[in-house]
Amino acid sequence: PGAGASLRLCSMRVAQEGINKPVIDRIIRVDHAGEYGANRIYAGQMAVLGRSSVGPVIQQMWNQEKDHLKKFNELMVIYRVRPTVLLPFWNIAGFVLGAGSALLGKKGAMACTVAVEESISEHYNNQIRTLIEEDPEKYKELLQVIKQFRDDEQEHHDIGLEHDAEATPAYSVLKTAIQLGCKTAIFLSERI
Amino acid sequence: VRCQQYPPLRALQASAVLRRASDEHKKEPLTSSSQQHFDSPPADHQPEPQEPQGPHPSYTGQGGQESEDYESEEQLQHRILTAALEFVPQHGWTAEAIAEGAKTLGLSVAAAGMFQRDGSELILHFVSECNTKLSKLLEKEQKLVQLGEAEKKPIDEFLRDAVEARLRMLIPYIEKWPQALSVLLLPRNIPSSLSLLTSMIDDIWHYAGDQSTDFNWYTRRAVLTGIYNTTELVMMQDSSPGFEDTWRFLENRVADAMAMSNTASQVQSTGEAVVQGLMGAAVTVSN
Repeated sequence: PGAGASLRLCSMRVAQEGINKPVIDRIIRVDHAGEYGANRIYAGQMAVLGRSSVGPVIQQMWNQEKDHLKKFNELMVIYRVRPTVLLPFWNIAGFVLGAGSALLGKKGAMACTVAVEESISEHYNNQIRTLIEEDPEKYKELLQVIKQFRDDEQEHHDIGLEHDAEATPAYSVLKTAIQLGCKTAIFLSERI
Repeated sequence: VRCQQYPPLRALQASAVLRRASDEHKKEPLTSSSQQHFDSPPADHQPEPQEPQGPHPSYTGQGGQESEDYESEEQLQHRILTAALEFVPQHGWTAEAIAEGAKTLGLSVAAAGMFQRDGSELILHFVSECNTKLSKLLEKEQKLVQLGEAEKKPIDEFLRDAVEARLRMLIPYIEKWPQALSVLLLPRNIPSSLSLLTSMIDDIWHYAGDQSTDFNWYTRRAVLTGIYNTTELVMMQDSSPGFEDTWRFLENRVADAMAMSNTASQVQSTGEAVVQGLMGAAVTVSN
């Protein structure tokens, strides 16, 4: 059973020899931070709305984010990438954002989901563009992963809209504020 | 399978590291000082048609013989510095050692003009060579474990052995090492020396099997850096036979770190249990 894993890892090792380390470093670090934050946001939302009618929906989206995080944990070890030093901060900030938005009601939680998932989808699209510009063949596996995750996040965004996110009071203000926070988080996690 | 990040050892690798270390010095008036030295070449040397900076199509040595392959400036600097190490115990980390090294390669002593007067590049070159040796050693050991020819060491023993192996590389230069440490701490050298230190510590943890992706990544490296630096300082003062005091100090520090991490995880699980208890109480009360 180990042979397959070691073959896969060794083929990634050969791939590592020619990669643009700084670019890949950033990509994996920020994506890892993003999925970690998303996990905490959904955890916060579940803490408040876990037993409401949208509980199962949020739970399902949360499970997908857990899978995403697991994948990035693996990639982080394979590519020997340093995690962002702000992780403890994203831990708390994510939970507070999730719980805070959920306290605004189910629509508030969905609005938060829409805002965050829209930011993340755009961010993944940027990364896909970067990797394709670099070398689509060399980064084929990574591209596949990011494309899949981008599609998942887009789906979460659509689910949020389906659940009346836009009907939240002060929706556009909330959305802008959250997206600004996401942009800042992305900027910082890439670098620190 | 642990996959190593570094490219396979080629002659260029070390010079690439030297280039990385010397990139920090590009802002220094290196060009102007080497320009001066090459403007008036010594009389016993054949005139060299090329400028000191930039790749040369060929290099004419003292005997008028051309080197066989194309050699970049980095590769040449790398060769000179490696040769200079032999003279460090005698001359210290100085331009004299570099000049002697250049002489053994059949080059003019003016070649020492390519480098800083305080021996920064020589020291950084030495540190990066030691780090490379350590990586190779750790990779070799890892292969043996994978092939089943050796036992996997417990973490404290692994860390101890890795730090000891790395510090032992200082022994031939131990008299002059305090001087080197002070040069490494010069503000303009700190980015390079810090980067070499962090990559070495990261290497050791990687081969020790660290797979943390949370804040532990930082704690572990910070702790090991502390252990390495303090042990290095102890070694400077150590006069016991075979540095046995140093290795005992190292063993104690590693044991302390292990105990600390055990305590930390105990505290964490206690904390988690307490939180769960509180949540349970809150749910009970709210019902």
